Amino acid sequence: MPTIRPTRRLTAAALAGLLLVAACARKGGCTGDYCGTLVIATGGEPDVLLPVVSDRAITRDVTDQLFLKLADLGLSGNTVGDEDFQPLLAERWEWDTPTTLVFHLDPRARWEDGRAVTAADVAFTYDIYTDSLVSSPFRSSLRHIAAVTTRDSLTVVFRFRQRYPEMFYDAVYHMRILPSHLLREVPRSQWRSAAFGRAPVGDGPYRFVAWRAGESLELSADSTFFLGRPHLRRLIWRFTPDQQVAVTQLIAGDADAVEVLVTPDNVQRACADARLACYPYKGSAYGYVGFNLAAPGDSTKPHPLFGDRELRRALFMTVDRGALLHNVFGDLAKVPPGPMSQLSWTWDPETRELPHDSARAARTLTRLGWTDSDGDGIRDRDAHPLAFRLLVPTTSAVRRQYARLLQEQFRTMGIDVQLDEVDFSVFNERARAGRFDALINAWNTDPTPSSGIPQSWTRAGFGRSNYGRYENPAFERLVDRAVASVSSRAEAKRTWRAAIEMLNQDAPGIFLFATENVAAVHKRVADVRMRPDSWSALVRTWRIPADRLTDRDRVER
Amino acid sequence: MAAWLVRRLAASIAIVWAVVTLTFVIVHLAHGSPCGQSDGRPVAPETCAALIRRFGLDRPIGIQYVKYLGALLRGDLGESLALHRPVADALAEALPNTFTLTLTALVIDFALGLALGVYQAARERRFGDIALGNAALFVNSMPTFWLGLVLLLLLAQWLRLFPVGGLRDLVLCPRMDSLPCLADFAWHLTLPALTLGLVGAAGTARYQRAALLEVVRQDFVRTARAKGLPERRVLLVHALRNALLPLVTLFGLTFPFLLTGAVLVETVFAWPGMGRLAVTAILQRDYPVVTAAALIASVMVVLGNLLADVLYGVADPRIRVRAT
Repeated sequence: MPTIRPTRRLTAAALAGLLLVAACARKGGCTGDYCGTLVIATGGEPDVLLPVVSDRAITRDVTDQLFLKLADLGLSGNTVGDEDFQPLLAERWEWDTPTTLVFHLDPRARWEDGRAVTAADVAFTYDIYTDSLVSSPFRSSLRHIAAVTTRDSLTVVFRFRQRYPEMFYDAVYHMRILPSHLLREVPRSQWRSAAFGRAPVGDGPYRFVAWRAGESLELSADSTFFLGRPHLRRLIWRFTPDQQVAVTQLIAGDADAVEVLVTPDNVQRACADARLACYPYKGSAYGYVGFNLAAPGDSTKPHPLFGDRELRRALFMTVDRGALLHNVFGDLAKVPPGPMSQLSWTWDPETRELPHDSARAARTLTRLGWTDSDGDGIRDRDAHPLAFRLLVPTTSAVRRQYARLLQEQFRTMGIDVQLDEVDFSVFNERARAGRFDALINAWNTDPTPSSGIPQSWTRAGFGRSNYGRYENPAFERLVDRAVASVSSRAEAKRTWRAAIEMLNQDAPGIFLFATENVAAVHKRVADVRMRPDSWSALVRTWRIPADRLTDRDRVER
Repeated sequence: MAAWLVRRLAASIAIVWAVVTLTFVIVHLAHGSPCGQSDGRPVAPETCAALIRRFGLDRPIGIQYVKYLGALLRGDLGESLALHRPVADALAEALPNTFTLTLTALVIDFALGLALGVYQAARERRFGDIALGNAALFVNSMPTFWLGLVLLLLLAQWLRLFPVGGLRDLVLCPRMDSLPCLADFAWHLTLPALTLGLVGAAGTARYQRAALLEVVRQDFVRTARAKGLPERRVLLVHALRNALLPLVTLFGLTFPFLLTGAVLVETVFAWPGMGRLAVTAILQRDYPVVTAAALIASVMVVLGNLLADVLYGVADPRIRVRAT
């Protein structure tokens, strides 16, 4: 077939040409200290780039580059007082009275459109964050602030309802200041769908460039940023269906960074790659088995099993948390000394807890009348087996693995556990409605326990995130004291420890894991520092030295 | 022909309406809530209640349905609960990617399937036929997502011949505005389209082989051979045209297959298309997006079948005459 050969050659040549063209990067001319592109692969995607209406971690990571806070947490993670905070939009501050805090804005701060950042912007932002129509997830965190007013164009005054240790933290940590001149006209009930949220104009170190839904989001460095020009010229978030795909893209060289590698296997793969450097940092999540102290679906009655404190304590002592943790996480997590993440400054390994003591647990169960009277391997009492259902979301491989291991540990003690594996939205619905016996849940926490503990473990959290309806007035008094009435960090820490120890004795849950995060970043990137509460908070100080720049870093687009 | 087309269009609209109605009812009756936790942080009940009120999810399902249909007739697909943007905008961004993927897969499916089918028929019961037949059966019985994972591991992760996912090189080609960037896009498209197309091609080849073998035994083919025409011409010109009819039917059936396959392939290859959008929406109970995705998918399937019927008429004049 002589006529076919030229066609084949032509096709082969065309394909080769196509590949050659694809392989030829458009080489650019950027040189020096301010080049470089960082591609961050991530399993999530922001819903909207308006920090006031979204508390997704990925939204925070992106908007932290676009919008500034008045001041930010230091590397110590100390949320008490103001001494460890770093100035951002506010160049300085002072306390006029014990409940009046005055910020002086940096006169060099500018919005991307050239307008100055003013005290009116700060007052407007507070107004938006606390407006019930906007319904910000951070609204309750600002409840102790009575008013925010302007003294002049660069001076803003915060007045608090009362004095407490974390006043400064509340004033600066939750709010990213927004441009009032661009957002004033947006109806308060339509903030979530405001066009600004998909093409924001900020005052941060980076400027918004493009957002391709489901694919990527790109920011470019603001070369005039008043706190110092960012070294990395472009930041690109690459959205993937899940974190596992993100890690695959990192290892394949399609991305430069992944903020958290999640599993020991991923850590091993990424850290073994000669091109990548690994950076461990404290995780903000803790996971636990939560017992429902109320009857499922009827919160007025106690749960037939978990209403009994002694039974809960016996179940706690049955579980070998260390062995479970080692099985699931390897070295990537710690057994928490209570309901807290490693990020929390109240973390104290000396906190007293119930021990793992299966002999004592067995004795307790027998004393409570739970014995295996019919020899079927399951304890029973009054013809009722010692059995319960454990609610688990299918979306979490970690929690599913824990569920199976727990099921086995309980079985050896003569306790029958059946798993209810449901998708995440059903898990949420049932947890909120109290339609479960026990569940495996995980919370991401703030650096301070002052918001998470009251929400999830006191009466104030009923109908909210205290799914198991645990309450103990003595514990709550201690929490109130720790949150509101102590003056030093050391005293606060002591009070928190006493509160947590009290909770541990009540065993409203079994605290299983507190994650340790490991990020992986390409080795050409230098000066990588991670702040545990927000890994990307210091990205503007990361850099790629001129001698490590690749053609891709230099490319002009 | 016109009357037939009108009847088919009316039936198509009824099918689409039925799909939308069923989807609407099922997703609204399914357990789960569009809000609860966000990234491991509790969502305040007030925020949830505000969301539910704003989207009218606290109203009876009948009222919600009537309201939805009214909006749909005005061309309004509603607003996404999770994305906080019009559903039409989200779909407008995702659909071209899905179309590109499925159409490329369709080309691979039929071009490869046709070629393999003809090759096998020409070498009936010889080694090439048997080997290819077994290989086609093997590929055809693989789940699409599994084949995708194998190709990803082999060609992208181990051999590094292709990217592991995505639509383009985000650093070099943020926009597709040059020949290198188009080539880069084609490079990124290759693995997902191949995954989707290969499984179909294996099936198409088997259909084509069987159809061609049936035709080559007919009298007109014998006549062509008796006239002394070269075997290649007999096979490719005389027999093949008559053996294409079953493929036209298959063409209509392939659309739903490719669409459902695209849902998984888009997830495996991080391809930002409608399938991935729909999966995320289902998990987040984003009712307007789920219903709109079902609407678009049903319209595409119905159109695919309509097109197959029309092509059938074009390929076989006897059917065209009966239809009129």
